[in-house]
Amino acid sequence: MALLQIAEPGQSTVPHEHKLAAGIDLGTTNSLVASVQSGMPKTLLDDAGRDILPSVVHYQESGTLVGDDAKALAVSEPENTIVSAKRLIGRSLADIKAKYPTLPYQFIGDENHPDINTRQGAVNPVQVSAEILKSLNARAEQALGGDLTGVVITVPAYFDDAQRQSTKDAAAIAGLNVLRLLNEPTAAAVAYGLDSMSETGEEGAKEGIVAVYDLGGGTFDISILRLNKGVFEVLATGGDSALGGDDFDLALVEHLVEQAGLARPLSNSLERQLVEQACVAKEALTNNDSVTVNLTLDDNSQWQTELSRATFDGLIKGLVSKTLRACRRALKDADIDAEQVLEVVMVGGSTRVPLVRAEVEKYFNKTPLTSIDPDKVVAIGAAIQADILAGNKPDNDMLLLDVTPLSLGLETMGGLVEKVIPRNTTIPVAKAQEFTTFKDGQTAMAIHVLQGERELVDDCRSLARFELRGIPAMTAGAAHIRVTFKVDADGLLAVTAMEKSTGVEASIEVKPSFGLQEDDIANMIKASMSNAKEDIVARMLKEQQVEAARVLESVQAALAADGNLLNDQERQQVDETLKNLLATSQSDDTDAIEAAIEVVNQATATFAERRMDASIKVALSGQSVDQI
Amino acid sequence: MVAVLNYFQLFGLEQDFELDSQALSSTFQTLQKAVHPDKFAHASSQEQLMAVQKSSTINDAYQTLKAPLSRAEYLLKVRGVDMPDEQATVGDMQFLMRQMELREMLEEISSADDIDAALFDASQTLDQEYLSLMKTLSAELAENSELSNQSASENLRKLKFYQKLNIELERLEEQLLD
Repeated sequence: MALLQIAEPGQSTVPHEHKLAAGIDLGTTNSLVASVQSGMPKTLLDDAGRDILPSVVHYQESGTLVGDDAKALAVSEPENTIVSAKRLIGRSLADIKAKYPTLPYQFIGDENHPDINTRQGAVNPVQVSAEILKSLNARAEQALGGDLTGVVITVPAYFDDAQRQSTKDAAAIAGLNVLRLLNEPTAAAVAYGLDSMSETGEEGAKEGIVAVYDLGGGTFDISILRLNKGVFEVLATGGDSALGGDDFDLALVEHLVEQAGLARPLSNSLERQLVEQACVAKEALTNNDSVTVNLTLDDNSQWQTELSRATFDGLIKGLVSKTLRACRRALKDADIDAEQVLEVVMVGGSTRVPLVRAEVEKYFNKTPLTSIDPDKVVAIGAAIQADILAGNKPDNDMLLLDVTPLSLGLETMGGLVEKVIPRNTTIPVAKAQEFTTFKDGQTAMAIHVLQGERELVDDCRSLARFELRGIPAMTAGAAHIRVTFKVDADGLLAVTAMEKSTGVEASIEVKPSFGLQEDDIANMIKASMSNAKEDIVARMLKEQQVEAARVLESVQAALAADGNLLNDQERQQVDETLKNLLATSQSDDTDAIEAAIEVVNQATATFAERRMDASIKVALSGQSVDQI
Repeated sequence: MVAVLNYFQLFGLEQDFELDSQALSSTFQTLQKAVHPDKFAHASSQEQLMAVQKSSTINDAYQTLKAPLSRAEYLLKVRGVDMPDEQATVGDMQFLMRQMELREMLEEISSADDIDAALFDASQTLDQEYLSLMKTLSAELAENSELSNQSASENLRKLKFYQKLNIELERLEEQLLD
């Protein structure tokens, strides 16, 4: 029997082997890694027993420092110490300069792909994030005792496509297999296990609405979720991907600069000192009514001032109001009144600020939940999701349904944006829209993909441009160009276009407006490996072999479960391709293994579809039985 | 040959306009539990691809059936009723006059003495007229004759005018209250 031949000793994997997986909270200010061990999600500690890794990378003559060691050099060597890189990824230089005019870095490279000049040369913010991920990965592998199967990395719900893609690129550079990009507020909801409240809540209450207010170091998210029997359905999300505790610090810095009568430009070192002292003062004001701030000025003189909480509250009041306006809009999008919200969950270190808590409590008219450490809750939720996605809990009923935070569209005549996928659409999603030519004989069409809510192209974010060529010459309006937008479960967009009326498929070339190109990423992976003394060829071979094993395992499991969906001839064909893949995967020919995997994929396409349709049927019939 | 299920069939529903939204949402979650890509994170890439496709279709079906206007439009499409072109003019003069009056009503809000009250009144007026038109549409769709479906398609277009006015009102509200 073919199956027996395929499952050769040493090749078959044990069915319920525990796979190592971790959840990573890649934060603006701090990052963490967590994993489920013996059924319990826990944050993982470094050698010194710390779980929080400051998101700071310091570039030395040779080698890099990450975390507390890097942070210690932030004031003395600001140009070579990158903090809050998350605020820079997927952004243009103009964007960065407008938002953060006093950054100490020397930016180089082109306008849409800025690098930072360090003593190790040009460093892209994506590479900085990759260093942080590498450090967390090393910690996880040490703590868990083996290579990770995959990780779930959290991103702010309000991150746009370029920022999400950049995060995934950083993971690729760090050599991590990303099981899923998960939105931070959704991760927090999972950590709170809020679905259980439907059982503990009042009788008959089958679902509950939960608001997750997530104010981190650099980003703000509000998500409105409906929880029902293990399903976390995000109804709406909103926020600001450039509003966080860092902005509280900056408001305080401006206040201090004014109070001390300082005139800009100041030294980079003093700018950093100001930010650090502002942050220390902010934290102290959580439990004290006033605090003393000390500064060493550029002329080495000492300056001191007393800062009251009332003054601080006055400085940040406008920022806090901004978050509440986003809450109002999200509630409206979800078609929910503030009174219908059953619980409000607080996430992110900045929710420790007393004014934030008070205002959120007032707005929702309920005491917010803070029982899980707001710094750790996201990593813990990510760890739970990673454990499930790795396949460690086959019977788990949990399901996360997330949405697109921002509308996606195309540029049309007159600089206007035509929305193709509106914000708060549940993902994954695919939508097609038809466009036509506006000139006689037009043979090419420029397609400009945008993200945002405004009507004018200039007010939205440019994601990518590409050109559809080879359109047959026709009179204006005769061509039917079908543009398809697909957003996957990670929230990442892919756009394709084709001319329909003649059946001619034309070539497309996508150029991301921001972030890295494929080539850049490949080069960075290579560079990161030469540092790690790893061989890229060996790594690619290993990756393909792992993928081959995964395909073999999953197809065999599917055949064992639903082999009856194939007739004898079809089955024989599939078995042949599996046999071929098994043989090829033991060779060291990476390309041949990749090709053999593709052959299996092609051969099992119909089978996969039948299986999916069968499971839909079973799900529907199971439900109608439940209802009877 | 295999026939592609329409969205009503996909959700195991009768092809009616009126539906139980609780049941719709619960079926949606059941279906997603069967096909969501998260359930196939360790399956073959072929199955992962298929899961994304099926899950997308179910999401689209749910969005379409959930909102009354898109549900009505989809139902008419399933019944083979031609929808008039978006650009085509509405022939009902009385309706057009009313639309102009309503538009003026919105324009005057920002100069009202009591903006809150003006916003509230406008929203009440729009809701009332929308709901009454919706009631007619629902009855016509339930009748499901050639004539009633034609009329439903006309009324659906009119409802879209109200939807646009409502969006404008929301935008105005956000502007004036911020």
